Formats: sequence, C-alpha cells, structure tokens
Amino acid sequence: MTKKHVSRTEGESKGEKMTEKPKVAWYWCASCGGCEESFVDLAERLLKVFEAVDIVFCPVAMDFKREDVEKLPDGSITVALINGGIRLKEHEEMVKLLRRKSKIVIAYGACSAWGGIPGLANLYDLDEVLERKYMEVPTVENPKEVMPTKKTIVNIPEAGIKAEIELTEPLPVLLPLDKVIEVDYYIPGCPPTPDVFWNALQALLSGNLPPKGSVLGASQRSVCDECPLNDTKPEKVLVKEFKRPDKAAPKPNECLLAQGFLCMGPVTRGGCKSLCPQANMPCTGCFGMLDGIVDYGGKAISTFGSILNYSPLEEKEIKEAYGKVPDWVGVIYRYSLAASKLGHKAGLKKPKRIKEVTEL
Amino acid sequence: MSDFEPKIVVYACNWCTYAATDLAGTSRMSYPENVRIIRVMCSGRVDPQFVLQAFADGADGVIVAGCHPPADCHYIEGNYKAFRRFELFKKVLETFGIEKERFRLEWISAAEASRWVQVVNEMVAELKKLGPLKKNLEVKE
Amino acid sequence: MSEQISEPRIGVYVCHCGFNIAGTVDVKKVAEYAKTLPNVVVARDYVFMCSEPGQDLIKKDIKEQNLNRVVVASCSPSLHEVTFRTAVMEAGLNKYLMEMANIREHCSWVHHDKEKATEKAKEIVRMAVAKARYLEPLEELEVEAEQSALVLGGGVAGLRAALELANYGFQVYLVEKSPTIGGKAALIGYVDPKTKGAEIVNKMFEMIKECPRIKIFTNSELIQFSGFAGNYTAKIRVNPRYVNEKCTRCGECEEVCPIEVSNEYNFGLNRRKAIFLPFSNAYPPYYAVDHRVCVKCGECERVCRFGAINLKEEPKIVELKVGALIIATGYDPYRPFKGEYGYGLHENIITLFQLERMLDPESPTKGELIIGGKIPKSIAFIQCVGSRNTTPGSREYCSRMCCTTAINNAIKIKERYPDTNVYIIYKDIMTYGSDESLYEEAGRKLVQFVKFEDKIPKVSITPEGLFIEVFEYTIQENIRIPVDAIVLSIGMLPPRDLEELIAVTRVSCGTEGFVREAHLKLAPVEAPTKGLFLAGCITGPKNILESIRMGSAAAAKAMSLLSKGKLKIEPMIAQVNEEKCSGCAICVGVCPYGAISIKKVNGDRIAYVEKALCMGCGTCNAACPSGAMQHLGFKDIQLLAQTRAVFGEVR
Repeated sequence: MTKKHVSRTEGESKGEKMTEKPKVAWYWCASCGGCEESFVDLAERLLKVFEAVDIVFCPVAMDFKREDVEKLPDGSITVALINGGIRLKEHEEMVKLLRRKSKIVIAYGACSAWGGIPGLANLYDLDEVLERKYMEVPTVENPKEVMPTKKTIVNIPEAGIKAEIELTEPLPVLLPLDKVIEVDYYIPGCPPTPDVFWNALQALLSGNLPPKGSVLGASQRSVCDECPLNDTKPEKVLVKEFKRPDKAAPKPNECLLAQGFLCMGPVTRGGCKSLCPQANMPCTGCFGMLDGIVDYGGKAISTFGSILNYSPLEEKEIKEAYGKVPDWVGVIYRYSLAASKLGHKAGLKKPKRIKEVTEL
Repeated sequence: MSDFEPKIVVYACNWCTYAATDLAGTSRMSYPENVRIIRVMCSGRVDPQFVLQAFADGADGVIVAGCHPPADCHYIEGNYKAFRRFELFKKVLETFGIEKERFRLEWISAAEASRWVQVVNEMVAELKKLGPLKKNLEVKE
Repeated sequence: MSEQISEPRIGVYVCHCGFNIAGTVDVKKVAEYAKTLPNVVVARDYVFMCSEPGQDLIKKDIKEQNLNRVVVASCSPSLHEVTFRTAVMEAGLNKYLMEMANIREHCSWVHHDKEKATEKAKEIVRMAVAKARYLEPLEELEVEAEQSALVLGGGVAGLRAALELANYGFQVYLVEKSPTIGGKAALIGYVDPKTKGAEIVNKMFEMIKECPRIKIFTNSELIQFSGFAGNYTAKIRVNPRYVNEKCTRCGECEEVCPIEVSNEYNFGLNRRKAIFLPFSNAYPPYYAVDHRVCVKCGECERVCRFGAINLKEEPKIVELKVGALIIATGYDPYRPFKGEYGYGLHENIITLFQLERMLDPESPTKGELIIGGKIPKSIAFIQCVGSRNTTPGSREYCSRMCCTTAINNAIKIKERYPDTNVYIIYKDIMTYGSDESLYEEAGRKLVQFVKFEDKIPKVSITPEGLFIEVFEYTIQENIRIPVDAIVLSIGMLPPRDLEELIAVTRVSCGTEGFVREAHLKLAPVEAPTKGLFLAGCITGPKNILESIRMGSAAAAKAMSLLSKGKLKIEPMIAQVNEEKCSGCAICVGVCPYGAISIKKVNGDRIAYVEKALCMGCGTCNAACPSGAMQHLGFKDIQLLAQTRAVFGEVR
C-alpha cells in the first residue's frame, strides 16, 4: 500500500518521510480559540501527540487552505477534530468537506457538540445580532452603518484595479456540528481539559473504538461524583431560594447547590475534576449532558423545580424565587441552546441587514 | 387554516386525570379527537424533557395534568414537584417565544370528566387560532 | 443506544368489545395497520378480548409465534390490565411485558366521526407498540411479614388498637412514655353525659391485664425505627422507674421526698413529689420516680420497708422486631400565655382541663368545685381559647371537643350547685351530633349563653373581683359580667415531643401542625410510609369515642397488611443505575416516603432505594439530574418512545 505524502507538517513532524501515522485534521468554526489552547495545554504530552500523528490540516497554526483538503482522497484523514459552532455558510461547507475526507469526525468542545455559548444567539433574529455586533456595542463606531456584504467590488479605474471580495454569510441559526454532518464522537468541555483530551486520544489510538456517538475522555457520572463538596450535602437537598454568585458569597467547603446556588454540577457530565466548584464557583455546565438525557435545559428545569421546597399554595414564593434569576435560559442552556429540542427561539426572521453587493 | 387540526399530547396521572378521561368515556361525553394521552402514575413523573420532545416532534400543544394540590396527590406531593417544575418551564417557554396557550398544567380530579372535556375544547379552539407550532419554529422571511 | 432486552416480537390484539369499539372504530383496519409497525409479528382483531377465547388467542400466539411482548388495544387498563397480565403470565411470559392501548374510553366512546376515530385508534396503538418495544420483565418480591406490631402511646386510641391486634393473635408491644397507661382519658373526659372516659379506660385495663400477647413498656420511648413494612426494627429506651412491683403503695417514700413539681396528672391543680403514684387506678399499679427531676438523695430508698426502690436502676435499650407501627401519641392541651384572658394573673382563672379534673372525686378538692378557696357564686366559661384565631397565640382550627366538654361541665355544676350562676361566653356552639341535646339541656338548666363575634371578650382583674367585658352579639350591646371564677375552654395542640416523633418515624405534618394521614380519602388512618398507621388525636383534635374508633381502624389496617404472612412488593418502583449515579442526593429529598438514602459503595456515594418503601410515583426519576434513577415500567426511554410515536416515529 503506497502512502501519498500530502501533509504540510514541516516543523511539526519529524521531517518529510513516508508515514503510517494516523492523519489528523483540526478545524475551527465559530470558536473562541479556547479549544486550540486546550490542545496546547497538553504541554509535554504534545510531543507524544506529534510523534504519534500527522497533522494534515490545521488553519489556526499554519496557512492551510480549503484546496489542501480538497486535494486529499476521500476518507484519507483518520480523525478530524472540529471545534466551534456552525455559524457561517463557510463553516457548513468546510465541515461537509472534512466529513467526506475523514474516517472519523469528532465534535471537539461544547460549541461543536451543542452550539456552545455562541448558540445563545439563537434567541435573537440574526439582524438583532448583527446590529448589536456592528453598531451597538460600546467599542464600535459605525456612523455609516456599514454591515457585512456578501460581495464587495473594489473599482479603481485610475489604478487599474477591479476586484471582487466575497464574504461568506451567516446561517439564520447557529447549529451544532451533528445537525450538519454525521459525527462519530464528542469530546466535551468549554474547553475540554487537557486530561480529557488526552483520555480521548488514548481511547482513539487504542484501536478499541467505543460505540459510535459516544462521548470520549469524560465520565459516565455527573460532576458531583468528583466534587469534594458532595460529601458535605445535608441528607435532603432542598432550598427556599436560588442565589447568584454575584449577589451572595458562597460559603467555602459546603455544597453550592445545597446553599441555593445554581450549580449545574448534578446535571453535567463529569471528567473536569469539578474545577469550578473547587474554586467556589458553581458549575456552569460546560461538559454538557449525560447519556440518556435528551435536553439538558429540560433536565435542569426538572431538577431545580424539584429542590425548591414550596407547595403550590405558595405560588407567590415560588414566583419570587424564580424571579431572582434574571436569565434562566442563559443559566440552563448556556452551552447547549443550539442542541436543545427547540434549538432556537420561535418566530425568528431571516436577516435583511446583510447586503448582497457593495461597490467601493 | 380551517383544515388545521392541532395535535395535543397529554401526560395524565393515573389516579386523577387518567381516571377522569376514562369517566368521560364511560359517560359518553363528546370531545374533539386532537388529544393523545400518555399515562404516568403521577404528575411528578413528568419530565420537562418529554414536553420539549413533544413540541420538537410536532405537538401544537401539551397538557400535563394531575391531582389537585394540596391534598389529593396519591403519592402525597408529586403534584407539588410538577407545579414547581412547570412554573419554571413556562418562563423558559416564554423566552423561547412559544405562546403560553400551547402549554397547560391542569389539576383534574377523578370525578371531573366535564372539566377534562372543557380543557380539551378550550385548548383545541385556542390552538386553531394560533396555528401549527412547526410553522413558528421555522425561520421566516 | 437500545435498551431492548431481546429483539421484540410483538403481538397486537384489537378488541371489538362488541359494538362498543367496533361500532365506531374500524378494528380490522387498526389491526392491519398494527401489522405494519416495527417488531409487530402478528396482529388480530376479536370480538371480546377479555373473554376466555380472546385470552386464548394471546396465549396461543405467545407459544406458537414466540411472542415476547403483547399489546391489547381495548378498554382502559383500570378494567382489564390485571386480566391480560394474568393471561400473558399463564402462557409463560412475564406479566409486565403487556401494554394496553385504550381505544374505548379514550376513543370509540367519545368520538363519533368513524374515520377520525379509526385514525386516532391507529395512533394510540402505535404509541403502545412504541412503549412495548422497551418493556422489560419485572419480578415481584415477596417478603416475610412479622406478625407483631408496636403501639406507641398508651391512651385510649393506643389501648384499643393494642386490644384489637392482640385479640386477632398478633404480638403487641405497647410503648408509653409516662409511668402509667391510660392517657388523658383516665383523668378527664366523658364519652356520654353519664359515662366517664376513665370507665372505658378501666375496662380496657382489665382486658389488657388478662392478655398475654400485650407486653407493656411504660416509662419508655421509641428512639429508633428502621426497616420496611413487615420487617421493622424498633429500639425502645426503657427509662428507670426505680420502683418495682414490691411496692405496697404505702406512701412513706412520698413523705420524705424533697422534690416537688407541678402535678400534670391533675393538670397543675396541685403539686406532686418526684416519687409519686399518678392516680389510683394507674397501671402498673405502683409508684414511680420521675427520672427527669429526681436528685437521687436516697431518702425514699432508705425509708422503703419493702425493698421496692432501687435508685441504681439503669436505662435499658430493648430491640424489637415488628411488622407495623401504630402511632397514637395523642395531644397536649393548649397552653395559654400569661395574661391571655388573665391566665396566670389570678388564681381563679383556670383551664377547662383543670375544671373537669377538679370535679373528679380523686382530685385535690375531692370533686368539689372550690376555686380560690370557696365555691364560686358565678363562673364563666370562655370558649375557643387557643382555637379559631381568637387570641394572638391561637391556632386556626376548631378543637372540636371543647364546646361539648364545657357545656357538660356547666350542666354538672348547675346540678350540684344550683345557686351558682354559670355563663358560657362563646363564639359558636359546636355541639355536633347527639351532643346537641346537651346544648338544649344547658339552656333549660339556665346556663346563660353570651355570644361574641370578632371582638373577643376582655377579662379585668380588679380589687372588686373579676369582670368579663364583652360585646354581646345577639343584643348588640357591651356588657360587663362580674364573676368569681373563669374557666378557659382551651383547645388541643400537637404533643410537645412531635419533633422527636418525626425524626424517628419520618411522619410529616399537615398545615395545622398535626401528623398527616397519607390521603384523607384514599388512605385514611395510614401514614405515608407503608406499615405505619395513625390513631387518635395525633392527627387532630377529636373526642374519646372518635379516638377509640380510629384505634380500631388503625389496628384493622395493620392486621390486613400483615395477616397473610407475606408482603408483595410491587415491582414498578424506582431503580438506581449505580454506574451512572453520582450520589448527588437530589432524589433523597424528593421522595415523600423517605425510601431513598445515600450509601457508600466502594467508596462512592450511591443512592439506594428501599424497595418495600417505594410506592412507584416516579418523582425521583424526573428529579434525577443524570437519569441514573429510573421508574421501572415508566422509564425515560419508554415514555419518550411513547411521545415520539404520537408523531409517527417508532424507534
């Protein structure tokens, strides 16, 4: 079997040579770069990674282009790790391309798995998002209301310049990766911790592939299982109010949920070693839902409603308790709105603000 | 929209609401065909995930129904939990822009067959006015 | 991820129910449709599925077609779920692998458009098939039931319960906190104007003394109670009495005892010593030392000529195995606060309990009405003290027995002291049932009834004597009544040690502060926990007869639970997936039966469901944040499948 050497991995692998190493692609969609940092956070273990694999596509690190992927034979990429939510048409096109070219596609991180924080944009019309981003935020001065344009024509006849720049356009809602292509595995986290990533890699490289659709590298149990505060819980976890960490100080060494803080730990997959609760901050849920749960926010509603200890005759107290939290959807769907059963707000309108053509 | 027949999923607790729906049958009461009843032992069993799944699959309306608080629940307090969960659920539905008429939490005791029929009739009429949910979940021009 | 145990092979049976279903729903079309659904191997229709030949169809198919799931589309499960479960079981299939589709009460009987009804029936069948694909075999557990019960509380309710149980053949352990059984009815109270509660109590004492199956523990408390219905372990602490049966009741110990406290057996009318005889007919019939106030000076031991006193006696812990617990720990009288209608500010203002006790021949006044050293020339009862939201410390409820009691005493006072003016200052007279005749009799005997509404009466204590000022509602005038003595008709409160009771037995309280029954209509006399029953005033104010009746009822329920010798545990209960459970404990607080606890398994916190306590509501499944807790028979995967099937998905 001849191997075509197609990777541009100078400086990243041990020189150009015929290799049987698994080929790895790394792509980012609507991403903050945190997942890339988690990769780097492998620290010394990175060297082992570079020894073991060939990186054939990694635009964050080097000047890879779409053509580099198109040139590869279908199925020749062993594993494509894709992070970030599918926000733009370009993302959609790239991930579909990578799917064709890859044996295994992994949704890396909360955004590609469930839409992540960018998914919260699905509560707004795209026009609202664009206006906020390009006109309303305090750091922007845009008096001419310049908005993204699909095609910009630059015409300077004196200089003999006539050029067209094409910009991709956003999709009306942000999608998680598995709503666009078939996904083989998920690595959870915002970002996945280096240990989780490492565990996932071990599972992949071991040859013993878990069932398709599995979440790799993390726990089958919730964050509570690894949280030292779990043992401090009273016999019954029941609260009379919900607290926010910006308004009330969590007592150290006591279970945050039992104190009334909206700790998502019980609803969230473990594997992170409960980093946030151990820093006295309630878990926000970045490792997503456990197996068998179909809607993370729905489950969170069920849990929080269960522990708020009032009878239906105390409707006023119940409404007051819920009223203390200004943004419930933000709390329960912070990382998973796009993957929720509803996925986005009802009645959204297609954007009008994106122009087709601008001539400069 | 005169052809539109809303589909309503109902989670009915065994001891109260399900018994009431049976009584409506035994009494040969008449009501529209739009409801599909799923039996649970207690309204406290109903997970908001089920309701969201129903909406996502095409339900135009969902009803969760159990025994009257404070004292009728066969399992003492299951309805308390249902009430608390679905109070929060309703807030979340609102943020999602889903009309509040599409979800109901009702207390219907085993004897209240006519209340059951009334609820069905009301909801079908309201949903006919609102139209299918699937339409609202599409992104419009 | 499929949870299907084996590849489902489903048989669907569509019943005509004569014309009841077939008259509206095209049952043949429904059966045809069912055949197209995934995993459906055979689909039939038949005129009466619940009949013998109908059931035989199912049994035959199970055997010949190797079915492992059955769906019966017919009437409501409330009618024939048991029938079809049994049929399926008789054919060798686990009886929980049968699902019913209600196409009669929910379809043919309520719709008239035949086409629409048929379409709906198809969907209902589709939903049942979708759930059936995820059904699992379940096993009923059987446990041995102890043929014994613990009765907590030696008042009339507890005594009655103990006698019923013992007569039936059960071993009964009667546990009473004070040194004597009999409760309050041994001291005060009437069951009818002629018959004192004490007579009933004495009769019950006689029966108990002769009953070998009733073991009495006085001076004892229930300190621990664990296990499940039919198999409870109770720990009793027997506090030292320091006096044994050699006691001859000579009373010499009492003379030398230096400690004096208020005598609760006379409701505070006099004082008693730390070593005392509660009342003449107390049982056990000898002295006791109040271990709470005794200073162990040793004087009583020194003077006792019969060797009946041993101050070195230690508390004992006794462990008992019982099948059921009957809680009959009674009530406490309302405690007026100082100044409430002048209470505590003048010795002539007493409570109803004190008055009735006073009129008993055994009282410090030997049954004479002597208040403030003399027979009062006028005496007024103020009703609803501590009840019906009258004064700031009052409860909301009516204490039920005080009107009858006050009027009964008013009549007796008038009979014995005809010259004494008797007033009853009331808000409403609640002499219900046959007690109404007492109200009439009181009127005939010239007891004066003075009514108030919102403005409660005011008691003035002056050098000239006591006065009651009240806005009399019927004549709409302020009146001022001079009286020699005032009797506050106090109500009933839950017993003072209720918190300890709750901690040990996990019973819960209703809004009024008394212990709550599981369900007023569907499960009276039962506590929510299976095997625990309630009798007497612990659930709320009632009179002596009502308490006795409730004692009988509680005993009957306990007997019915235990008498078969074995108890079946319903298998559609909550189950923990230990691999998924993180011990977050949210389920523990959500279970109304206290069936769930956290145990350590290999160092991990894991939820544990006590099978016999779980009643199968599924609330914990919905609350469980990880889906580790599942309600067997109503699991997430089953209910989701049923939901999705509404819209065509069967997977």
